[in-house]
Amino acid sequence: MLSIRNLHAQIGARKILKGLNLEVRAGEVHAIMGPNGSGKSTLASVLAGRAGYEVTAGTVEYLGQDLLEMAPEERARAGVFLAFQYPVEIPGVNNTYLLKAALNAVRKHRGAAELDAFEFLAMVREKMKLMQMDESFLSRGVNEGFSGGEKKRNEILQMAVLEPKLAVLDETDSGLDIDALRVVANGVNSLRGPDRAIVLVTHYQRLLDYIAPDFVHVLSDGRILKSGDKSLALELERRGYDWVRQEAQVA
Amino acid sequence: MNAVLAEPILGYREAFEAARPSFGPAEAARAAAFERFAELGFPSARDEAWKYTNLRRLAARRYPARNPDSTAVVLDDALTPFRLIVVDGLLRPELGTQGSPPAGLTLRALEVARRDGEPLSALLRVPAGGGTERFAALNAALCPDVLVIDVAPGTSPEPIEIDVAATGSEAGMSHPRVLIRAARGSTARVILRHVGDDAAERFVNAVADVEVGADAVLHLYRLLSQGDRSFHIERIEATVGQRGTFVMHDAQLGAGLGRLDLNVRLAAPEAATELTGLFLADGSRHLDTHLHVDHLAVGTRSLQDYRGVAAGRGRAVFNGKAIVHPGAQKSQARQTSRNLLLTPGAEIDTKPELEIYADDVQCNHGATTGQLDPAALFYLRSRGLSEQEARSALTRAFTGAVVSRMDHATFAEVVRDALDARLVRLLEAQP
Repeated sequence: MLSIRNLHAQIGARKILKGLNLEVRAGEVHAIMGPNGSGKSTLASVLAGRAGYEVTAGTVEYLGQDLLEMAPEERARAGVFLAFQYPVEIPGVNNTYLLKAALNAVRKHRGAAELDAFEFLAMVREKMKLMQMDESFLSRGVNEGFSGGEKKRNEILQMAVLEPKLAVLDETDSGLDIDALRVVANGVNSLRGPDRAIVLVTHYQRLLDYIAPDFVHVLSDGRILKSGDKSLALELERRGYDWVRQEAQVA
Repeated sequence: MNAVLAEPILGYREAFEAARPSFGPAEAARAAAFERFAELGFPSARDEAWKYTNLRRLAARRYPARNPDSTAVVLDDALTPFRLIVVDGLLRPELGTQGSPPAGLTLRALEVARRDGEPLSALLRVPAGGGTERFAALNAALCPDVLVIDVAPGTSPEPIEIDVAATGSEAGMSHPRVLIRAARGSTARVILRHVGDDAAERFVNAVADVEVGADAVLHLYRLLSQGDRSFHIERIEATVGQRGTFVMHDAQLGAGLGRLDLNVRLAAPEAATELTGLFLADGSRHLDTHLHVDHLAVGTRSLQDYRGVAAGRGRAVFNGKAIVHPGAQKSQARQTSRNLLLTPGAEIDTKPELEIYADDVQCNHGATTGQLDPAALFYLRSRGLSEQEARSALTRAFTGAVVSRMDHATFAEVVRDALDARLVRLLEAQP
């Protein structure tokens, strides 16, 4: 589904990704772990098409298409979803409006008809229940005045409504208390399926107690140094990141 | 006086002389007003109050005294059950709602009010000072009539709408004038809608005199939707009495060149005013707003909150001033000016000003001018909205903050729809 080869990216003159390779197939859950500054969020941003990142080498292929050539909205419509590390507050743009406009854009791209108001609301209500969100969220501005946990839940709600093929979750666990973490993880798990791939970008192993990944990758200094299964995350939790770096240098 | 600037006065003097025979008992008052206009002349480029708004094109024009061919007006649906229609400065009762106005309201013409014993100095008052004194004086000299609206003490009449239309297939000018007085303890809502089309170039020079009595509340809703070839200059002069409140909701959407001077005198203790509005300067539109609030008594409160959007070659000017005069202790003055530039060629010049001559007051002001938040744009696009949809949603959110405070549902709806239609066109036109 997603094939990243030799990806180099920089912000201004600062080189951040330095030859990253990653293969993600449908149905898989990948965790990308690494210390601060290793390039985790840059990877998520490049995949979503955020401005300000210059890709200097490498390719990203998504379902046979050149992802880097696509505008952010084209990526979204084609099924790529980024759950933001810092969801943006947009006062005056209604949550319902955004959900509806986003869903209709995605459905139109898929050749599906727009949902009518009744169907839409019924579907959103069901997903909100899953995310334990109060319906009053719908009438508020996007993320306006939301707590950190509410913003993260709202991200997963959007993901649940849009049903992406490839979801990239950027530090979705950061700033969450244990209850909120469970709700968010529950939301993500409910979206696991054979047609969907999920990439979790995280600093801590904690999220992986709730969302079991198929693969764990260690990102350091812009490259993936080591890949393994779920047990690698536990080892990282126990031993930190330094040994992986040393191991890579020796190799 | 500057000879170059005196020249445009000649055309208006001809118009004044042509109209003189119709003035009757008001002739002396009107002549005095005209001389005031002639004395002040057109503003020069050095005039601080006209720093960003150049009237050279207007000064070069000559218009006939009366619009020679007032044409049928095509009006939008009424916003209130009772509507008055003013065409080229003259009330046209046959075009408006038939029957009596809502209980509590009295409508009179200039000559009727004069015969009732009201002094012409009040009915055709020339407000002193400000960049538009000259035009207010010209209006007092040339207005074909004054629509005098009185709200009886202690009453709360149903809202009314006044549509002020500029018509004609040839270039022309009009000088509409209203006087609205809300007597002690009354509450009233008046919608003032300026409309005009693009059939010809027009100069509309409007005046609204407002008096809000003690414990009275007046809400004035103003919608400016003149044609692209119009010059629209307007002076609104309000005086607020003890514990009275003057609320203004202003939506400036159309005019080739628009200038509003809105002056409020908080003349008695605890008088208050809230001036909120928005302007949309797209195309090659030029919209200039000058607010001026005088705090003249203790415990007076003012709020100025305007939002502006400019795009294309549009240009807007916002100048908000509040003066807390000596003795106006315990007063509050707040000013906010937020501005959004949608395209690189657009420009908004904003200047909030506070002058404080009392020591026990609460005042603050702030002004921002910027573009749409790139982080918010990316967020919306990352959810599948096109760049155009995202820009439109964010722009509507920006103006919506003002529209949502327009507490007359039909008025707010008309403003929102008009804004939406314009924004769609605006954003579709962009690459």
